Amino acid sequence: MSQKWSLNIEVQRQKGQEQPHFDRFDLEISPDATVLDAVEMIWAFKDCSLCFGHACHHSTCGACGMRVNGVEKLTCITLIGDVTQNGGTIRLQPLRNLPVVSDLVVDLTPLYHRMAQVKHPSVHPIEENKGVANQQTAQQGESDNSYTRLADCIECGLCISVCPAAMTSPAYVGPAALAGAHLAGVIDQQICAIVDTKNGVWRCHSAYECSEVCPSHVQPAHRIMQMRRQLLSQRIRRFFGLQTFHQRKQ
Amino acid sequence: MDKPKAVIIGAGFTGCATAHDLALRGFDVTVVERGPIANGASGRTHGLLHSGGRYAVDDQEAAIECIEENLLLRRLAAECLEQNGGLFVALNESDLEYAHRWTQSCERCNIPVEQVDIKQALVWEPNLTPKILAAYTIPDATFDPLRLALTFAATAQANGARFRLFTEVEGLIERNGKIQGVRCQDRTTGKSSELYADCVINASGAWAGKIAQMAGDTTIVVKPTPGVMVAYDQRLCNRVINRLNEPGDGDIIVPQRRMVVIGTTSFEVDEVDYIPVFEDQVQMMRDCAIQLIPAVAAARQRGAFMAARPLIGSSTSGRSIARTFKCFDHQETHGIGGLVTITGGKATTLRAMAEKTADTVCAKLGITASCQTREYPLRSYREFRGNDAYH
Amino acid sequence: MNRIFQKPDNAIQWFDPRGRQLGYLAFILNRITGMGLALYLLLHLIMLGKLAQGPQAYNSFIETVHHPVFLFGELLVIFAALIHGLNGFRIILNSFGIGVEKHKPLFTVLMIVTLLCGIYFAVRMIAR
Repeated sequence: MSQKWSLNIEVQRQKGQEQPHFDRFDLEISPDATVLDAVEMIWAFKDCSLCFGHACHHSTCGACGMRVNGVEKLTCITLIGDVTQNGGTIRLQPLRNLPVVSDLVVDLTPLYHRMAQVKHPSVHPIEENKGVANQQTAQQGESDNSYTRLADCIECGLCISVCPAAMTSPAYVGPAALAGAHLAGVIDQQICAIVDTKNGVWRCHSAYECSEVCPSHVQPAHRIMQMRRQLLSQRIRRFFGLQTFHQRKQ
Repeated sequence: MDKPKAVIIGAGFTGCATAHDLALRGFDVTVVERGPIANGASGRTHGLLHSGGRYAVDDQEAAIECIEENLLLRRLAAECLEQNGGLFVALNESDLEYAHRWTQSCERCNIPVEQVDIKQALVWEPNLTPKILAAYTIPDATFDPLRLALTFAATAQANGARFRLFTEVEGLIERNGKIQGVRCQDRTTGKSSELYADCVINASGAWAGKIAQMAGDTTIVVKPTPGVMVAYDQRLCNRVINRLNEPGDGDIIVPQRRMVVIGTTSFEVDEVDYIPVFEDQVQMMRDCAIQLIPAVAAARQRGAFMAARPLIGSSTSGRSIARTFKCFDHQETHGIGGLVTITGGKATTLRAMAEKTADTVCAKLGITASCQTREYPLRSYREFRGNDAYH
Repeated sequence: MNRIFQKPDNAIQWFDPRGRQLGYLAFILNRITGMGLALYLLLHLIMLGKLAQGPQAYNSFIETVHHPVFLFGELLVIFAALIHGLNGFRIILNSFGIGVEKHKPLFTVLMIVTLLCGIYFAVRMIAR
């Protein structure tokens, strides 16, 4: 579609230790373009000092998460036409509950570290996606567990940004890492020490926004609840001496 | 003795892999990048870990390099890969004729290719068009672009390399006909600073020409050559699907996570910083994809994106280390010391490019240090420390 | 170092329902009704304190609270207790991994029950 919309873009800016403020830009852009396209155009043609995160532009890297009109979005797959109308405003802010580097950039490496701690497998056999309703998409090939795929979680941080528990306590392990631990499968002693704590699964207060904003089928809230059940049944069995901690297969 | 200092401009695949190699060779490495990791052509790559099959007929040297690096990366960077192999499929007579040349060429390049029964191919990949006339397996794989770059960056960082992201090079510091370092501005604060180096490595991809011009060398002409790729919201295949014929537009479908990505096209532009997505190209890609996987017609489009390959203009002088990329020592091309430019290449061969660049830099500085990146185990991409990179 | 952990712009962000889905609205309601019930508990204890001061003090207090405003307040408390209790039941179920996929329709059903019960109590109170 060659039609272009006239938009008012408000971008949160922050350099160094100064207080954040908003800069305004006028932009002509197609409604079929993405919000990330808009940000990139502002950077390329209007203000090259704008810092923003991006890499793959097709929802596999997780680098371009931002708040768009107050709602967490993965901007490379968010169409302009879905967030505003011709003549409208788009307000861009960085994700919450993560360290702000500058402007629209947050540091996702604390999330990466937590995912490593809970041993979330970044690539895993295709059939192994237990625990939550797994919508089968197209026909699957013969059930061959030797196929692998990169995990759903792209470590984008949208879930952390929207979580009210993460807002009040930075020590909270967070929806992404807890979901990651659930996907890891066996909850061994090491992972238990992280998730079966007051800052682990028990800190969640069922807001469910993490599952809503996840662009990648992870459903963190559901996984947290499933893991609570798992942890409880493990505790009960340990109490009756029926099992010790799970040993992780090496 | 002080470590030799290297400043690398650009943190795409080339920059990250070169930082890793030089750090292992005892260099004090600083990577300066005006955006985040892999935000240029590297991030937007198709994500295909080439087996070399695509180059076997026309460029054997490139094909051999591909398969070697493919096998290395499967071992070193398994965390970023979907290692499900690939299929080359023939859809018409022209494809079948090509097949004969192709299988022989692959054999010569040591690329393991095996013909499979059409019925078996369709059992493996039920969404593949039933109209295929022949199918061959090949060791293609899918990689995650950002995470592959981060893997090299994290390893380099662990060995002392410093990444300065959101830091733009504003100029090169030149004294007595030699580049001594770079002047750069930290975009997160607005503060400028100077970084000194024994050698500056220009690994800025599509912007290599602009950086070279800062040194007064206008002979490096990089033609940004973008291509469009379209991602669909269903994992319609598990293996990479290639069209068995001369490399052309829209002849590869790469699965990744719960998507498939069809690519790509090739056209020239002037403006590098922002390249819009052209709707007619997206349509063309969709049509090409439907030829291979008819179910794409009913699939929802998840995104369309442009990646600008940095191709070297043919008028550019300079010795090329290999046909797959070009490495320029500006001392030789223009009498300007302290600067090396590396550009071109593909993601699959990032480690090999870095090896040859590092060899050039070492030779230039009279340093004997051999490459260790073939064996050195890469760290997890999750070990990358933003703390140190986002000063 | 430039890195700054973001504090919410103000505590209001926690309660901002704009752009949020049903699960978050339930979360907000639970917080607000929880605080409301806690406040009511405080008032209730004060009232019981009045009882301890003897029949005169208690009776004059009861006269005061027969005012429509207080009756309305009591109705709010009933609604709050229903919302908080029934939603709390939903949260308990979910916490044991039960009904997680259906948490939204479950919330809707419970709120309908809330409304019906609340209306029933309201009618009875007004009738008196």
